[in-house]
Amino acid sequence: MDSEDIVLELMKTHIYAYHEGHGNIVDFGGWAMPVWYEGIIAEHHAVRNGVGVFDTSHMGRAVAKGPDVEKFVNRVVTNDVSRLEPMQGLYALMLRPHAGIVDDLITYKMGGDEFFIVYNAANREKDFDWLKENSGGFDVELTDVSDGMAMIAVQGPEAVETLQMITEEDVSLVERFSIAKITVSGLRCMAARTGYTGEDGFEVFVLDSPVADPGKALKVWNALVEAGAVPCGLGARDSLRMEAGLNLYGSDIGETTNPLEARLRWAVKFKKEGGFIGMEALRKAREEGVKRSQVGIQMVGRGLPRQHYEILDGDGEKALGEVTSGGLAPTLGYGIAIGYVPVEYSKVGTPVMIRVRKRLVEGKIVKSHPFYDDSVYGWKRVRT
Amino acid sequence: MEEGENMSEEYKIPEGLYYTEDHEWARLESDGTVTVGVTDYAQKQLHEIVYVELPGVGDDAELGAVIGALESVKAVSDMNSPVGGSVTEVNEDLLDSPELINESPYREGWIAKLEPSDWEEDKVHLMDAGAYRKHVAEQAH
Repeated sequence: MDSEDIVLELMKTHIYAYHEGHGNIVDFGGWAMPVWYEGIIAEHHAVRNGVGVFDTSHMGRAVAKGPDVEKFVNRVVTNDVSRLEPMQGLYALMLRPHAGIVDDLITYKMGGDEFFIVYNAANREKDFDWLKENSGGFDVELTDVSDGMAMIAVQGPEAVETLQMITEEDVSLVERFSIAKITVSGLRCMAARTGYTGEDGFEVFVLDSPVADPGKALKVWNALVEAGAVPCGLGARDSLRMEAGLNLYGSDIGETTNPLEARLRWAVKFKKEGGFIGMEALRKAREEGVKRSQVGIQMVGRGLPRQHYEILDGDGEKALGEVTSGGLAPTLGYGIAIGYVPVEYSKVGTPVMIRVRKRLVEGKIVKSHPFYDDSVYGWKRVRT
Repeated sequence: MEEGENMSEEYKIPEGLYYTEDHEWARLESDGTVTVGVTDYAQKQLHEIVYVELPGVGDDAELGAVIGALESVKAVSDMNSPVGGSVTEVNEDLLDSPELINESPYREGWIAKLEPSDWEEDKVHLMDAGAYRKHVAEQAH
């Protein structure tokens, strides 16, 4: 079977017509997605220093609606949605009863009796099934809306100006983790002040835009590109999120990690009314004490850390754990990794060794949320 | 063959060099040493090379043995020696400028020089430019 036949069998997003003409397409979990257009490094820098645009239409999106919606969402996620005002969102996790992570997600309170939930592409079916399975006893209706709207991320320090050029409403008024109804290129959209790069920016949902009729989605995409946003593929998406210390589900977190080990305690609210699925097991884990902890590692010696490489103590004698994400940090110019080690080795400054093929290369534990100096890069930087 | 012809034009495959199935090249120099590197096809497949691991001078390599590694943002690729022998020189410019392999895979992007142990014997296992061109056309298809 040649490569064209393989592409035929893959799922495609609304923006595929553009990717096909401009990008280098790979099979990403069954989706035909661009890994890069011009080059991963240039795309990475475009987002840290200017503005980039990503097609994230492969992600999962669901609407929950009904009188019990708030109670239901609060029961299935770890964070507390009862504190949200209409059109505000938050990051949360869904847990199995044993406290393993089903997925990480962002959920928005849309007002009325509606919540909007955005989750990982690879978990589309699993998450929707999990939501459905746990909706028994709640007066709530769930709809998978993934294919009915496109999702385009505009990211970088120039994201606000760029989206503003083609939007009627003032997008600077949309606060971080809030969502707003806006009109982009004359089309009905929603824009959330969120992203997966560490930078300021938006995730734009192009409404009434089915995959089968992608005209509206392509119009918004092309307008953003014409406004100066650099098209970015999954390669830059991964290197950007890694530098920002953001977890990749399936690599850094998953069914066998709990939120405490993954240092996502901040997204768990033990005291909220009604509790959440997985709370008892997680509380027990907390009482017993967490044995291992996620850490950031900066390479000191020459060599790039990669997923599954072994982490050893500073003497290179004791195996501590393994790298869950790693590679070159283009902004920093050295190798970085996310991985797990026993808690006693997790302190910033602790020397470690990484087994890079046959060699042991020196590294050290560093602050990883983010890896870069957030007064210089990322959404917190003060713009002058 | 039409498609094959087109594919080969996309990739530079100089005459006079010897090639492996894994896309390394070897060039016999006038002093009897053999310079090795990776092909234009290999560098294009890897895309932006961001890190190179070189062999050590004095290392002995069997034909086909791993003597180094090339890394792009996304992937790691082993560099196998297209010839058996002893490493006499490595391209240290690659440590600071791994992109030389992307820019000039057959010249500035060379990886190592070896004193071959039996070039005439090893050569039999390698392809000439014509055979390698066909090999690339099949791979790319």
